[in-house]
Amino acid sequence: MDEDELLNGEKVEKILSPHPLSFMRFQSLSMFLIIWGIVAGWLINFSEWNTIFSNNEWLSVLVWGLVLLLAGIIASILTIRWSIFFLYLGVFAGGVALMLSQGWLGASGIFIPFYMVSISIIGFLFVEAYRRSHRYIISNQRISFKGGIVTKRERTLRYDKIADIDARQGIMGQIFGFGTIIPISQSGFGLGSDKSLAAGGIQLGEKKVGFFGLFGGGKEVQTPRARSYYELHGVFPYKEVKKLVEEMVQGNVITPYQKEQVAFQKEQVDIQKQMRDLLKMQSDSKVDQKGEEGSEE
Amino acid sequence: MEASSIDIVVFAPLAPILGVLLFWFIQLLFIESEKYLLSKIRPNHEPFCKFTNFLGIFFQTVCHALGYTVTKSGVSNFDISVDYGKVSPKKEKKGVFEWISNVFLFIGPFFIPAFILLVCLFFLMTKGFEIVNSSQLLVIKYTFGEQISTFGASLLSFSNGFLDFLLNIDLLHPAHFGFLLLMIFLGMGIRPSYIGKEKKEKVDMLYDLKNIKTLILNKPIYLIILFTIAYIFFYVSFWLEQNWYVSFFIILGWLSIISIVSILIADTILILIRTTDELTGRWKVIPYITIPTSYIFARVFFFYIPTDFTKPVSILILILSTITVTYFLLKRKSNKFKTKQDIKKIKKKKKGGKDG
Repeated sequence: MDEDELLNGEKVEKILSPHPLSFMRFQSLSMFLIIWGIVAGWLINFSEWNTIFSNNEWLSVLVWGLVLLLAGIIASILTIRWSIFFLYLGVFAGGVALMLSQGWLGASGIFIPFYMVSISIIGFLFVEAYRRSHRYIISNQRISFKGGIVTKRERTLRYDKIADIDARQGIMGQIFGFGTIIPISQSGFGLGSDKSLAAGGIQLGEKKVGFFGLFGGGKEVQTPRARSYYELHGVFPYKEVKKLVEEMVQGNVITPYQKEQVAFQKEQVDIQKQMRDLLKMQSDSKVDQKGEEGSEE
Repeated sequence: MEASSIDIVVFAPLAPILGVLLFWFIQLLFIESEKYLLSKIRPNHEPFCKFTNFLGIFFQTVCHALGYTVTKSGVSNFDISVDYGKVSPKKEKKGVFEWISNVFLFIGPFFIPAFILLVCLFFLMTKGFEIVNSSQLLVIKYTFGEQISTFGASLLSFSNGFLDFLLNIDLLHPAHFGFLLLMIFLGMGIRPSYIGKEKKEKVDMLYDLKNIKTLILNKPIYLIILFTIAYIFFYVSFWLEQNWYVSFFIILGWLSIISIVSILIADTILILIRTTDELTGRWKVIPYITIPTSYIFARVFFFYIPTDFTKPVSILILILSTITVTYFLLKRKSNKFKTKQDIKKIKKKKKGGKDG
């Protein structure tokens, strides 16, 4: 954070960025590309089935594409994120287009592993650039979240506006000591929702009776969820950061005891005011009495 | 020599049990060696040790859940973390059911990882799975000596096949490479290296044996029932002239052999980690780079000059080059193999340099 971005009396406590392994779900997509690229290369060139592939040059492309897309579908269903499928579809389409345009179809056994490894390296670099774009600044007054490669996003959250803190640590986080902390604001920023839907189909006989039904039932569950640039994503050391944020929230938010104290002080002030008014009234009446007595004399 | 009836009735069923117990005891000793090495590298490799601990806890928790499932107690809560695992049953069952689920908890982790590897080996290993063939059955006498011989012979055949597979393992074959990785991972997680956030509780071989002893002494009747079942199983096998009884224990023996070899390989890696800790900076990466580089170099070399022993020689080159590179690095870049005279020479050289 630049000096001119700091508010009056603001002191930076910690500047954090996500742990290199905290974006493992994105890195694993690239990892799969490397593994499948090498396995596909071995399958086409060195395995006992290599003669099948050498007889038909399109077969290797078909097998490569099918496994890639199948993996994309499975990953998309598991994570409820169809972008993974479209990403793998893009990788496949790009590879096929390159092979056709350059006339490398006959050399698919060499092209596929090299192409897959190259794409995954680009993927790893992109994830790393994305990770490095994140910056979380914890000061004594607020938390600033910054992130984004092309479009820069920023969120500022004052501690007194934090209603709740959600913290989670996966297995990798437990091993390497990082975790994610989502501060949920009073307006509900930092909350997402999970929806479930049921679908079913039935077919009776051979094309004589057919029935397909889609039964939709919406069930929404509010769950803490935010983009990595709107939460303290994969911060290290997790426990220390969590404690710091909680202490900051505690220090800036009025506690029930403090509330009682304030109410009590308010009551005291009211009593004092009443007493002052009474005293004033008394003194005023004395002055009036004296005045009346003086005029009688 | 004719077999005596007391040998067949009383002692013969004990033979494979004793064989398995012996192998299991050896397995426990090897686990101790792994724990020792993990404790030595722990200060510098905390995440790595946490990972191995997680693997161990994972298997232990899965075994516990398996125990509750087998006893039809059901699983209501399955909680697992890096240093803690907890399984709660749906129905609290006492007596023999509780005892069986405890048996799964204490003994399962020693065999479940090995069982996964055995399943993989069925697809990869071509020989060594012979138990007792029909021609051998004709000469088998159900005596203590014959039972232990059959047990030993099958284990020897399996060990030969397994060793042959490992020596001829093709690290450029995805399935073989995957199996080796799995073997290393499972070898490191056959038993948790430490339990709890801090190493407070001593969890070692004696701890395991103490648990099993308590399990036996608390309910000796169940152990008697178990032995009775074993004896009935033996008599049924004997009556039907099938060697099912010894075959069952042979499979347990295979599992022990797989575990021991996995732990040995895991130990080798732990020794390499411990040795490279003596090196500083980027030099400690060199031995790890040598492993794939030397193997690929050897395979490329033998691709152009083919021999009958391409794969074992490549493995040998990998091992020797890694040892040589590590040795030279230790000698040149650390004080590990330096004699007093060497150190004096260096000091003199430094002094001379300063004076000059």
